[in-house]
Amino acid sequence: MSTLELPGYRDQSPEVAARFERLRQRPVALEVRGLTKRFETPRGVVTALDDVSFQVHKRELMCVIGPSGCGKSTLVRILAGLETPSSGEVRVYGEPVSGPGSDRGMVFQGYTLFPWLSVKENVMFGPRMAGKSAFSAEREAREWIDLVGLSKFENAYPHQLSGGMKQRVAIARALANQPRVLFMDEPFGALDAQTRCKMQSYLLDIWKNVDITIVFITHDLDEAVFLSDRILVLDANPGRVHEVVEVPVPRPRSEAQLFDPTFMATRKHIDGIMHPPGSGQKETPVMRLAVSDPDVV
Amino acid sequence: MARPAFLKDWFRIRRELPQGRRVALTAVSFLLPLALWCVVSYVPWIWHPDVKIELSAEREGVTTVFTAGDHVSREFFPEFVEAVRTENKAVLAARAAGTPESGARRKNQKLLRQLAPVAVGHGWLGHDDAQNDAVLYHLWRDLATGTKTATKPALSEENLGIIRQNWAQLSAVSSDFSFRKLPDEPLLKIVPQGKPANPVYLPAPHEVVRAGMRDFRAEVPEGELTMGDRYRKSLRVIFLGFLWACVIGIPIGILCGVFDFFSKLFEPFVDFFRYMPAPTFSTLLVAVLLAGDAPKVALVFIGTVFQMILVVSKTTRLLDPSLLEAAQTLGAKPRQMITKVVIPGILPNLYNDLRILLGWAWTWLVIAELIGVKSGLTEFIETQGRFRNFDRVFPVIILIGVTGFVMDQFLSWLHGLLFPWAGNAGSFSRGIARCVTWPFRTAAAGIQARLSAAEASRVASARQESP
Repeated sequence: MSTLELPGYRDQSPEVAARFERLRQRPVALEVRGLTKRFETPRGVVTALDDVSFQVHKRELMCVIGPSGCGKSTLVRILAGLETPSSGEVRVYGEPVSGPGSDRGMVFQGYTLFPWLSVKENVMFGPRMAGKSAFSAEREAREWIDLVGLSKFENAYPHQLSGGMKQRVAIARALANQPRVLFMDEPFGALDAQTRCKMQSYLLDIWKNVDITIVFITHDLDEAVFLSDRILVLDANPGRVHEVVEVPVPRPRSEAQLFDPTFMATRKHIDGIMHPPGSGQKETPVMRLAVSDPDVV
Repeated sequence: MARPAFLKDWFRIRRELPQGRRVALTAVSFLLPLALWCVVSYVPWIWHPDVKIELSAEREGVTTVFTAGDHVSREFFPEFVEAVRTENKAVLAARAAGTPESGARRKNQKLLRQLAPVAVGHGWLGHDDAQNDAVLYHLWRDLATGTKTATKPALSEENLGIIRQNWAQLSAVSSDFSFRKLPDEPLLKIVPQGKPANPVYLPAPHEVVRAGMRDFRAEVPEGELTMGDRYRKSLRVIFLGFLWACVIGIPIGILCGVFDFFSKLFEPFVDFFRYMPAPTFSTLLVAVLLAGDAPKVALVFIGTVFQMILVVSKTTRLLDPSLLEAAQTLGAKPRQMITKVVIPGILPNLYNDLRILLGWAWTWLVIAELIGVKSGLTEFIETQGRFRNFDRVFPVIILIGVTGFVMDQFLSWLHGLLFPWAGNAGSFSRGIARCVTWPFRTAAAGIQARLSAAEASRVASARQESP
């Protein structure tokens, strides 16, 4: 179809290469070693994750992508401490993780805002749990709400907000706790395409201004390439690390880069991993029209 | 073929009707049963299986005596009338043959009293004075001469004829009552009169309203309970019982919903216990807690608390678990998760559960009031029901219904105020709640207006002072 010659996805411009070099120098924020998760089901033991190991550096934005059923969500739930692995370990800045904690924030696909709390009170939740006074928690919350651009809505209740606004509140709420790593589990999956694009730009803006390491789960290829420094590509059944791709697209990112040759090359490479040619993807059957329509043909 | 506009407007699949029509239908849903009741009560040819006797007669050799106000079946009444006519014919025949019975003075005195219902109906005689023979004697005269005309009940031509015939005989002897001067031979009996009536257990609306007004306003002798006292007593029992059930049931329910430990520890037994009907414990409760309100409160408690534990634990379990996970990732400790997430999260549903359980508690109240020493509204229903005074029973039953309904609708309205974030109740409920809570809302608006006026005047005066 396309005759355009794409550069290899490994061809990094000198600036990008230098940037990755600096990234590798930074301390390791999150280290995952030999993570395995098995589920007992009535039909036998299912291995969701098999010996997954990788590292995320400080202030890196890493996306985890893979076909459905590759254990992306299981992985992030283990990282957040909501589930325990069958074996392997997770370390945050060298400290092993056991159970959920306020050092790792989480943004869920389903928003999970507390419906009985206003936007401000939702954002205040973490600091209040940490024992901060209502006054200082409120002051902090205002700053975070301002950062995500929802100052006008600080007294609104979640049911009065749109999906994109809810997710911004959820991000502010997670950040207000000042976690060292932020996990995002397909946070924009429930949004419409246009809002999703906007939210991706928002996220990059926020990330630019906040010292935070982000692990972002997605199944959207464009989203992964657009956001990440590196992309962790998982295989399905069982979930294994296929490759860690360094995205050669220079920062700062903008929507214009969607047609950048480096962007397209990376996209094509990962698409090839996720949907290998001849992997049995059948041609979509087309409904035959009884009457041929000249305007369509 | 187009559907008629009427069908299109009123019957639309899964579409809400406009506000006006909804209100209209809500009104009709109450008016319809009322209208049905009125039709059955006031249209004489619908149902009316009984005859209510207005004028009765005693029959020779029959011990069953009907008095005015008694009901007999529609089939039996003509038989009854015919029997009295036959007796009259026999008297006339004997008189014609010149061989009348003698020694019927006592019987004739009773016969004169057949007109007592007429005298009482018109207020010519008091209820307690119904056997004042002197007055009744003159009533016979007045009716026979036409000086008085009876309308309550109106007398049939046949009976007027009998009255005139009898008066001719009576007046021939004496113009005033004297037992000695009553004729010795039998007089003619007034033929029974009656009108179609429904059974006593279905009094007409106006009878119920009248009896209700009388009972609710009645002054009672010292030491007895007015209807208001009974009502307060019933409310006290139900609220105490329900309160205790809440105090015990809600915390246990929440614990069961949160911790599998408590769920497995309590719920199996609770599940078993709730199948033992609460009333079966009544004698036990009376034996342990003695007479008075205590066993009644305990019965309402037992009837409610076990359901409450199960319902509350289920509601707690229905809380979106991802909210708990979110709280965990925000650093909430287990105790904080219960107090800051579980409890506020389930509150709106818990509130609705309690509303439904309060409805159940009313059912237990009626049973509770019958155990030990009967008390409250139920005692009144029970006593009057035994005397077959159903016109006095219905107002109390309706009172209980209205109380429960108004309370429920009020609480439903309060739900919207307390939990604005939890979405609204159904539109039907909302419509009724608006009617029921109108006085409360008006009062609230009044207070608010007064407060804001006070605030405004305070601000104004502050402004005047400042320069």
